Order: sequence, then structure tokens, then C-alpha cells
Amino acid sequence: MKLWRRIIVFLVVGGLMVGGIALLGMAQKNMTLSVACEADQFANYLKVMAKQFKEETGIEVKVDILGYSEHRQKITQDYTTNTIQYDLATVDTVWTGEFEEKGWTIDLTPLIKRDYLEINVPDIMPVGFEIFTWKDKLIAFPMSGYSLSLVYRKDLLDDPKEKEAFKEKYGYELQVPKTMEQMANVATFFTRPKEDFYGLVAGGARGVCCGQEFMTYLKCFNARIFDEKGNVTLNSPEGLAALKFFVRIFDEWAPPGAAAYWWDGRETAYRMGKVLMQITWSISRPGYELPDFSKIIGKTGMAAHPFIPEVKTSYGYGGWGIGINADISEDRQEAAWGFIKFITSPENQKAWMLTSWQEYGSPGDTGMPIRLSTLIDPELNEKNPWLKDTMLIEFIYGDFSFRPPVPEYAQIESILGLYANMAIAHELTPEEALAKATNEIKAIYEK
Amino acid sequence: MTLRKLNRYFFKKKSSLLLLIVPLVVYLFVFFVYPLTYEVYISFFNYSLGSPTKSFVGFGNYVYMFFKDVQFFVSVKNTFIFITLAMLIELVIGFTIALALNKESKSMGLLRSLIIIPTSLTPMAVGMAWKTLYNPDMGAIPYYLNCLGGTNSAPTLNPSTALFALVIVEIWQWTPIVVLLMLAALKSLPLEIYEAGRVDGASIWQSFKYITIPLMRPIIILIAMLRVIDGMKTFDTIWAITGGGPGTATTVMNLRVYDVGIQQLRIGYAAAISNVISLIGLILGGVLIYILYSKKYEM
Repeated sequence: MKLWRRIIVFLVVGGLMVGGIALLGMAQKNMTLSVACEADQFANYLKVMAKQFKEETGIEVKVDILGYSEHRQKITQDYTTNTIQYDLATVDTVWTGEFEEKGWTIDLTPLIKRDYLEINVPDIMPVGFEIFTWKDKLIAFPMSGYSLSLVYRKDLLDDPKEKEAFKEKYGYELQVPKTMEQMANVATFFTRPKEDFYGLVAGGARGVCCGQEFMTYLKCFNARIFDEKGNVTLNSPEGLAALKFFVRIFDEWAPPGAAAYWWDGRETAYRMGKVLMQITWSISRPGYELPDFSKIIGKTGMAAHPFIPEVKTSYGYGGWGIGINADISEDRQEAAWGFIKFITSPENQKAWMLTSWQEYGSPGDTGMPIRLSTLIDPELNEKNPWLKDTMLIEFIYGDFSFRPPVPEYAQIESILGLYANMAIAHELTPEEALAKATNEIKAIYEK
Repeated sequence: MTLRKLNRYFFKKKSSLLLLIVPLVVYLFVFFVYPLTYEVYISFFNYSLGSPTKSFVGFGNYVYMFFKDVQFFVSVKNTFIFITLAMLIELVIGFTIALALNKESKSMGLLRSLIIIPTSLTPMAVGMAWKTLYNPDMGAIPYYLNCLGGTNSAPTLNPSTALFALVIVEIWQWTPIVVLLMLAALKSLPLEIYEAGRVDGASIWQSFKYITIPLMRPIIILIAMLRVIDGMKTFDTIWAITGGGPGTATTVMNLRVYDVGIQQLRIGYAAAISNVISLIGLILGGVLIYILYSKKYEM
């Protein structure tokens, strides 16, 4: 080959190589990540942080906000068909076992070990990592930690006239209920249908809502779906007491439409001043103080949920994490990991709670803490004193076993959601409903 | 022309004809044959969506469905009650309205246009709207029922009335289609027979009973078949309004499939239920077609 031809070939090949490397770098910078995000109160601020992330790194992040059922269906479809519509997805704590078994998200353990100091791992509450770990794999990073709490109308519980009347009827001081018996008495006392005011509310809509709401009361009665050896122990005296109490809510204490409430219906009933108390997730707490959104501003107290007296104290823990799609390439996984580190940094965890919803979203929008530093932050506690007063201890003694994150959770939740609803509708007695639910759950593991 | 040339000619002609139907064949294969085949195949497995493994269980899913799954039979019962009631009432009301609209006047054209509005709405939108109407706390229907003397009258919360509440929604949305079909059929009836009847002294009622009904019978049966098949497909409105509750009061077969396949991710069992639903639909359609083409109803 003549020399000049060789030089031309060399220049072209060299140019292509350099250009290719440059393009790769640009591709990283011009990369667009997509996030499937469930439409909880934390969702809208994720879009704000996505913009900030792009300003810092050049990587665009598109956030797709979906209702609970739609979110679950879309990511299931994405993972099972390997279509890679989403690089990241918010993960409910109860999906942990299933996601690990099906290999839908990557194990974040190596990345956490690599970036241990950068993330400041000791600052993250241990229960946040535990809840997303299955067979030693961390399938999602904690992003928004919830505690299961009792919220109540402190103005009514502190009212001297109410206190006097309650003591006359029950023989002890009216106070925030700490046991289930006290909860029943307070609910009965404050249920006044003629005034359109009710003592206690829960969501009874058939399906995932009813299933999860019922599991809340399993926790209160220390009833377990599984024991430590994995045996199904739902049909126990505690389980039956929990279901009977749950049915009583709709028969005796809740507004007439509660049997059809989803979580938003329950929250609306409380926020509109129709109900004295409810057991709910802490994410809803800030929403009770918003003008034009709440009729009970300044009137809400928050405490740990009641128990039966014999129970060793532990508190319901839940929330959301964020996982990385196992089907995406390594460079995209790295970019996605960068986004996770960004949104869960101490600064952004604080800003998530501190930034007013009016700057970016809908009434009630907020984040929830995963870090100790966030829980005890003075500026945050000035605005939300329940962070240190209530949530901190609930996170330290957080327990998620009442909603076992086993791979078969979806089936269990559907079974409980059906039979608890059948008990509410009096289609079955609590005994029949619990027995049938238990048998169906056992059948899952006998196949 | 030699035989070989003739064969080549017909082969070319057939080939070009065959080529024209290839897109349809491909479409049918991709969107009908393959999914149906896969559905039948997967119904013989115990398979959780997304799971890396599935276990062959033979007819195990079908055995479970027919001998252990009480909810399946409840859903079948609810489905039959739902489609039978909805279909019968739609036919009666639809025929009545069609008879009333079968007169030419200035306002009839406008009325015919307005009457189609419910049918033009998407079922999910209809479901959400009616859910608000039926809302126990703030819905108009429970409010007025309570004013009329009911207590806590929320039709969708009561297991004994919830299904009928949904039938009302179904009737509201799909009667217009029945009206349109009946109207078209009425318009096509031969006027000579009515004139002959009038000449013979037939009254309006006699004309209706001995002329209109027999002539309309084939279309009525056809509409009934279409409404039954449509009714079996109902999912959106029921899901939006009651989610299948309270309890199992409004769980129809499609909802059972959704619950098993999408909520519980038990795709194998959901496929088995779907196959049985398809079979039931085929049998029902076959029965109605037999009635439709039976000599008994030939004119």
C-alpha cells in the first residue's frame, strides 16, 4: 500500500477510535434514566431532585408517577418482558422477597460497601436496610421510611368535658389509648352518628387496601402470619381477636362508607374532621396541618399505635425504597446508583421534608426520613416535633414482620384482602374468614 | 395453452392471492393464535409471573378450579345473574324506546343523537362517575334513598344490592346501542304487511303482536347474543365501582382472572380460568346462533 494511503487509513481509524470514546463519554452525559415512582406524597419532589441531578451531572432523569396498582403492574410487566422501560423503580417494603427471588433488581450490597463512607451508612437507620434485605441481598435502597402510628384529635382527648364524661362512663382517665381495649372504649365513646362524627376509621375496600389495613391490626394484637420456623400461624387466638376488632371498626366506629374506603378515603375522613383517630403511616402526618387541605389544623397528636398489654414493644415499620433494574447495562446501573446516592444524601433527605409543597407539588407532599440525622435535625423538629418525639423510637424498635416480605406476599395480601372484606360484609363470620384465609395461605406452600 | 403453462398460470394467480392475505394471517397468528396457544399451554403449569421456574401440573389447575375454588363458582353465578338481568332489561327498555323513536318529527333526530352519549363514554370513566354517585358518604343516590326512608342506604356496600347497582350502570350505558339496532331493524320492516293488516282490521296491539314481534325476533335474538357476549367481557365498570366487593358480591369471572393473574401473579391458574370463560362464551354463542338460525324462526 502506498504511504499516503496508509496515513489516511491510520488517521481515519484513529479518529474513529477517539470519536467513539468521546461519544461514549457524551452518551454517559447525555444519558436519560427513567424512574417508575408510586404516587405517594414523596413522589412529586423526586421530579425536583431529578432536575437538580441533571444540573449536577448532565444525566436527565424522567420520573413517571403512577398509582399503587398501576405502578406494580407496569414494573412487573417491564421486568418480566425485559423491555427496560425503567432503570429505577420505587419498591414497596413488602415486595422484597419476590424481587430477590425473581432477580428483578440488582443487589446493592457491593455498591454500598464500595461507597460506604460517601453514603455515611451508620447514619441510615438499620431497619431501613433490614427491610429490603432477602437472603443477604439488598434489593432496594431505603428512600422513604414510614412508621405505623396512631394519629388522634388531641383537642378532643384534652377537652375537660369529654374527660369528665369519659371517666364517669369508664372509670379511668381519658387519654391516648395504649392498649386495644382502651382504643375500643375511646372509639365507642366518641362515635356519635347524629353529629356525623366517628371514633375510629380504617380502609375496608376489598383488595390490597383491606389486606394491608387488616395486617395493621394483626400487628396491634401481636398476631403473626408466620412463626419463626415459617409455619402459617394466622388462625390463632390473636389473629381472631384482630379480625374481630377489625370487623368492629366498620360495624361500630367508622363512617358508613368506610367499607369502601381506600387509603385516601380514610385519610380524607380524618382530615375533614369526621373521625377521632386512625392508625396510619407517618407520611400522612404533615398533611393534617395544611390550610385549604385540612379542617383539623393544629389539632392532631401522634403516638405509637396501641398494643395488647402482653406484647414486647415493637413498632410497625414500612415505607419505600428505590431499586435498580437488573436488566440494564453496567454504565446505566452506575448512573442509577449515582441518582440513588443523590436523593438519599443527608442534604436532600432534609430538603425533601423541609421544602414546602407549594413550591413544587400537591398539598401534603413531603419526604420521610431514613437517616438518624434527619430524624433529630433541629430545624425539621421545630416544624415537625413528632420526628424525634415519636418516629425516632418507632424506627429504633421498628418491626416489619407483620407484613412478611416473602416472595408469596402478593398472594397472601390478596387472600387477606378478600377474606377480611368478606368478614366486614358479614358474608363470613370472623372464624370462617380466618380459617379459609389460613387454609389458602397454607395451600400456597403445599403446591 | 399447454398443461404446464396452465398450472403455472393458476399457481401464479393463487400465489398473488395468497400473498394478499399474508398480512391478515400474520396479524391473526401474532394477536390470536399464538396468545391463545400459549394461554392453553401455560394453564398446565403452576407459574408465578416473573418466576424463573414453572412446574408442570397437568390438569391440576382445572381440578382446583372445579373442585376447590369456591370463588370461581361464585364468580360464574354472579356473571350469569349480571348478564341475564342486564340483557333482558336492556331488550325491554331498548325496544320500548326504539318504538317511541320510530316516528319522524323535528326533534327525533336530536333525540337519537343524544341517546347515544352514554355508549360513547369509556367504561372506566362511566365507572368512576357512577362510583361518585354511589359514594356512601357524599353520593347523590344514597342521599336520596335515605331521604326516601332508607337508612345507610349505600347500594354498593350491601352484598344483596351491590350487583343490582352494577346492573343499573350496565343498562344505563348499553341500552342506547340496543335502541339503535332495534330502530334500524324497525325502519327496515316492510310496510306492506302493516297495510295489509290494517286492511284486515288489525288494531295497533294486534299489529304489534302478530307483525312487529315475529318480524323483529331474529334481530332481538342477535342483539341478545351480542349483549351476552359483551356482558361477559365486562370488567372496567365493576372494577372501578366496587372492585368485586363487598366480599364476593360483585366478583364476576373477569375480575376473578384479574385477581388471580394480576394481583396474585398466578398466571398459570389465571390462564386456566380464562380458557374456561372462553369455552362458556363459545357455548353460549353457539346456543344463541342455533336459536337464531333455527327453522322455527324462519319467516
